[in-house]
Amino acid sequence: MLAKFLKSSIGRKQIVAVSGLLLMLFLVFHLSVNLGIYLGPHTYNLLAHRLEQLGPVRVVAEAGLTGLFLIHIFFTFLVVKASRRARKIGYAVQSSSAQRSLSTRLMPLTGTVLLVFIISHLIDFKFIDVNNTLLAVVEEHNLGLYGIVVNSFRNPFTSTWYMIAMIAVGSHLSHAIDSVFQTFGLNDGDTHRGLHKSSVIIGTLIALLFGSIPLYVLLTHGSLLQQ
Amino acid sequence: MDKTISLTLKVWRQKNAEDPGKFELYPVKDISIDASFLEMLDVLNEQLVLEGQVPIAFDHDCREGICGTCGAVVNGRPHGRLSKTTLCQLHMRHYSDGDTIVIEPFRAKAFPVVKDLVVDRSSFDRIVRKGGYVSVRTGQAPDAHATAVSKPDADLSMDAAQCIGCAACVAACPNASAMLFVGAKVSQYALLPQGQVERKIRAQAMVSQMDAEGFGACSNEYECEAACPKGISVSNIARLNREFLRSSI
Ligand code: FES
Repeated sequence: MLAKFLKSSIGRKQIVAVSGLLLMLFLVFHLSVNLGIYLGPHTYNLLAHRLEQLGPVRVVAEAGLTGLFLIHIFFTFLVVKASRRARKIGYAVQSSSAQRSLSTRLMPLTGTVLLVFIISHLIDFKFIDVNNTLLAVVEEHNLGLYGIVVNSFRNPFTSTWYMIAMIAVGSHLSHAIDSVFQTFGLNDGDTHRGLHKSSVIIGTLIALLFGSIPLYVLLTHGSLLQQ
Repeated sequence: MDKTISLTLKVWRQKNAEDPGKFELYPVKDISIDASFLEMLDVLNEQLVLEGQVPIAFDHDCREGICGTCGAVVNGRPHGRLSKTTLCQLHMRHYSDGDTIVIEPFRAKAFPVVKDLVVDRSSFDRIVRKGGYVSVRTGQAPDAHATAVSKPDADLSMDAAQCIGCAACVAACPNASAMLFVGAKVSQYALLPQGQVERKIRAQAMVSQMDAEGFGACSNEYECEAACPKGISVSNIARLNREFLRSSI
């Protein structure tokens, strides 16, 4: 039964949807931690420290997340491959109806941007030496992880790339949230319009909140290029 | 005298399934704006026959928008850009003098081109066949009130049953997915008491046939609903997703 489910186009999409939903829940958790930056270096570093202390829980969570990412990408790949094969010869005239929203059309692009971003983001923040004081010093104070975050966002290239990625997140989620409902059959027609609107609102909100952090850093600490 | 228009048609010509096919340009003059799109093609075909050329093959039957036989992609949209209209019910008054109209067959791996604008949609028939039967008790005719159907369910089921199987949904879908068609077919029985006995087997069988035919996967673009001449709602796709999940667990 499970094998049949995993082989069917609907089953595969439901896997994509459920893994995507869990990834989004993680993103909301990630966001809530990030917003700790507004509480100042002390609280932010404390928060990060607490997360570090989670030990085995953290290891399991990280492995789970990696698994979810791989599942999400792998099943998307299978679904897309089948769809590409379903229309070998395209149309001479391409025309879409108003039904097809921009975020829907951009899913392949935003998905790819996010994949590249996540890899670069892990390299930037995850695999960094938190005790490297050189990176953590802001205006002659060693601010620990907070300092590392501030210093990297003071680089306008990093923060621009981050904000581009957050626009991609917003767009990706605008299509995704509403799609989860559709793919699990929770859209009964009347709810459709409302679902799409809430999906866009939640996606935009998450993107704005994430994107506000580099802006805040640049506004309060100034860009590194200005020095 | 009727108002008339002259047009340039760019039509896909393909001798048979093996022929690679190409577009040909045809000027058509003095087309009545009251003519339907298919009548306009009839006029062109008569002209082609008189010139000793092979007329353009296209599918049609009722020409009343009820059978689902007609259909081509007109300027990038299945059945043309008018909403809830089959190609046979599209009239030339929606075009202006001097327009160029590009006419292509429905494109999907599951619908091989037979000739020109005619595609083989028997993959739909095979999916429908997998839908099977509904079990009914034999014996005396049942009492009219014996099986109650709520009005909302009856309405939704009838809405789904409006699908004429023209395949515009597949043609419009960027993934050439047949989910709207299969969603409508599965829904119309899943909603009624008569369809309950085989409900799970039906969803499974139709979906696996759909996949086997080589249709793509739905990515919730909703182009199908926009192209559907009967306005079948994408909530039928949601219902299909639900039915499939239910029948898988
Ligand atoms: S010919 Fe029957 S629907 Fe157009």
